[in-house]
Amino acid sequence: MLPNIYKGNYLLALIPPLLLIALAICFVLANGINLGVDFEGGTLATLQTKNSVDASWLESKLSEEGFANPHVNVFQTTYGYKVEVEFAQSEEIKRAESLKSEFHALLPEVSNLEVRYLSTGENGEEYTQKKGKLYSIAEEMINGLAGMNEVVSNKNLNELNGLFASSYSAVYKNYEKKVGAAINKHVSYDSISLQTVSPALSTQFIEKAGNVVLFSAILSTLFVFVVFRTAVPSAAVLIGAFSDVVIALGAMSFFGIPLTLASFAALIMLVGYSLDTDVLLTMRMLKREGDPREKAFDAMKTGITMSTTAIVAFSALFALAYLTRISTYYEISSVVICGLIGDIFATWGINAVILLKYMLGRR
Amino acid sequence: MFEKFPSLGQLKNDRRFVFILLLGALMFAGMFIYPIYIGFLLILSLLIFGTLSSVWKEPHIRLSALFLLLILAVSAIAVHGIKFGIDFMGGTRIPIVLEHSVSDLTMQDMVNTIKKRASVIGLTEIKVKAVGNSEIYVELPSADEEMVSRVEDILEKQGVYLGVVDGKTAITGQDILPGTIYRVPTQYLGGSDWGVGFSITKAGAEHFAEIVKGKANYPLYMFLDRPSNAFVVVNREQLKESLPESVEMDDALAAMKEALELDGDNTIIVFEEDVLPGMNLSNRTYAVLRKNAPQSVKDIFSSAGIMTKEVEDNEMIPEISYGGVGGAMVVAKWEAVGLLSSPFLSPQITDGIPSYSYSITGPASGAGQEKVLNAERRVKEIESILKGGALPVRITLGSKTTIPAPLGQEFLRLSLIGLLVAFLIVSLVISLTYRRLNVILPVIVVTLAEVIVLIAITGSFTIDLATMAGIIAAVGVSVDAQIIITDELLKKHGTKEEKLDKAMSIINTNVTVAILAMLPLLFSGMVEIIGFAVATILGALLGALLSRPAYAAIAGELI
Repeated sequence: MLPNIYKGNYLLALIPPLLLIALAICFVLANGINLGVDFEGGTLATLQTKNSVDASWLESKLSEEGFANPHVNVFQTTYGYKVEVEFAQSEEIKRAESLKSEFHALLPEVSNLEVRYLSTGENGEEYTQKKGKLYSIAEEMINGLAGMNEVVSNKNLNELNGLFASSYSAVYKNYEKKVGAAINKHVSYDSISLQTVSPALSTQFIEKAGNVVLFSAILSTLFVFVVFRTAVPSAAVLIGAFSDVVIALGAMSFFGIPLTLASFAALIMLVGYSLDTDVLLTMRMLKREGDPREKAFDAMKTGITMSTTAIVAFSALFALAYLTRISTYYEISSVVICGLIGDIFATWGINAVILLKYMLGRR
Repeated sequence: MFEKFPSLGQLKNDRRFVFILLLGALMFAGMFIYPIYIGFLLILSLLIFGTLSSVWKEPHIRLSALFLLLILAVSAIAVHGIKFGIDFMGGTRIPIVLEHSVSDLTMQDMVNTIKKRASVIGLTEIKVKAVGNSEIYVELPSADEEMVSRVEDILEKQGVYLGVVDGKTAITGQDILPGTIYRVPTQYLGGSDWGVGFSITKAGAEHFAEIVKGKANYPLYMFLDRPSNAFVVVNREQLKESLPESVEMDDALAAMKEALELDGDNTIIVFEEDVLPGMNLSNRTYAVLRKNAPQSVKDIFSSAGIMTKEVEDNEMIPEISYGGVGGAMVVAKWEAVGLLSSPFLSPQITDGIPSYSYSITGPASGAGQEKVLNAERRVKEIESILKGGALPVRITLGSKTTIPAPLGQEFLRLSLIGLLVAFLIVSLVISLTYRRLNVILPVIVVTLAEVIVLIAITGSFTIDLATMAGIIAAVGVSVDAQIIITDELLKKHGTKEEKLDKAMSIINTNVTVAILAMLPLLFSGMVEIIGFAVATILGALLGALLSRPAYAAIAGELI
């Protein structure tokens, strides 16, 4: 078995996790984290093909077609190849989205002004001005973006509303058609499916994810302080868990694992799991008699067995992801495996050392 | 080895044991009586048995609680099967984009209405779920293109509002100005219980004023998706039975005919028994009939190429009320033909002078709180009729994703193999770490039980990709507590009870932390990953409440 790493100068145990964290921060700063379609918005085309496709060749071809930064991934599967092409949010969809929200903010106001003006003759100036604005928004959407060739000015508000809605979906469908046509030119495929995440939806996902992180952090922090009631051990537990998430993010940056809803869920789970090992360590250290160095090492043996079983189960999921190319499996398993390995370093290198220093210093 | 376990004779007199047994039987019966609540019953059993086995520490109680839950889970799977999402069954996902973001309440309305719409074509397995607050996913377990495009048609169709006065079209959905429909505040109701106001376009206002001129107190028949040139096929007996005693059949029929009158349209009422082979079906393209109408009647229409719409029995029965000119009999509601409300025209608006704003007001039945609720319901109803559809917000369909059934089944097969592999290698790690059969076997048995119960619970709802990932993860995470217990018990000093208590306090803290961290995800409404949160949280609960105490009981005896 392992020798007790906490005998002698236990501060040395800090080195590996601190190195890992420094590396993780460097990667994240240098490469950033690849936001998936869920959070960044955009269009994801998934193709099933019989033959393999050269990813960088397809990327350059699609750039020539006028798509900004297309990202191509090719996977071999048990039934041919799976090609994923990610397109950044297109300018026309972004514009359509903002026109849509302006239009729907203004429409009820103009309707009510119109009724007021027609029945009482009041607010004529405001009515004309706002109506003009509404019709120019509609003009840009219907004839500009959707290319529908309609005379907008002779439509009443109701017809305008209907036309606006169909032109909005036309903008989406046209874009997806354009994407489909561009791919079709260069790749022959058996099936294609397109998923577009609108700017509104991706913004919502980001907001919700932010809330989840916030509430998760608050709940876990409160709970940890309630359980341990003393500042240093509680802080040590939280530092351990936080370091683990930093290491996981670094790994995501290094391996190019995108941040999607699935990998986000994996990160949240990681917080819970990494707190588990930290709690085990802290309870064993604080609430038992005996030599702190022995107790820490003892806890480490239990903790590493725990982490090993979890890593092993997630490796099975990872292998499954490799076979099926199901991105949900891949994103969850790869993030958790990296995080669990990071957790071993963070818990037994950082949290344990802080606790040991705290307990030995008090003697 | 098991000398501390009570004998069978002792068990009979053990009140706790008998109580648990009775509870188990009760849940078992519940599962058969209310099969749709199987998932909730299993969770309830988990919570009850779990609490009992934390309070009552006798090993045989803890073990029998786990065993009973396992039996419940296995029979749930056997009776009810496991539901899988379209990723595993094959199917089609159609995203629906809303015109603008809506509140949670409106979203709930939308989801329910879309479910109802989609269920018209008889596919009960259609899933409708909100994604954020501006998108909805509709998932159907079929990749058949014809079926998918039928569903798309139904979803895309907006309702058409039509207001008819004295057989003439007075107002249509096209006349109502967008964004002007509002609820009339109480102080302006003037004696009515509820009111909905709206404004109409200039052309609409002029037309309406002309049509209703001199028609004071006539009913305004408000239709949503009124069938045109149709046969409305009524069952005579049923109609007769449903009418109040004071109403003559002929008077009721006359009122129904009047409600259907519309210039340029030729919709008529026929009785089921009059639909006979050789009847004149020309000039009409559509028939509305009961779902339970005789097959022979349905066949006559379908063989003549006439489209049919099938409705429930009660929708075919008109609601009669009195009022209007001279207190005449009027059809107030008749869902089969889309007649949803018939307010009477107030004399002030029948003078021929166009007005741009109108309101519909009326009484609500009941008293007190019930009356308020009824009024609220009426307001919602009228609002949705005027908006030309049950949907409060206009929708557009996004591009669909199709997963062919063989591919889905392949995914499922591989995923189940993955689950098995995870289980086997975790067992291998445990075996290599402890190298003692009396540790390895209980760990494996308890973990297996946990996975089965987890599959039964999640499978009674739906297992999608994220849930499956959570279940596989649970295999690796759920053994952690067993490891903590074992390591504690293998220590040399301290009594068994002390060691178990120490282990349990660590585990309880762990499980609480894990659940607290995941809880916000569970309530985030991010449907794509909620399954993962559910599986992880259930796995943790299951472990803390049942399998860990049960394992402690076995391990405590063995080590």
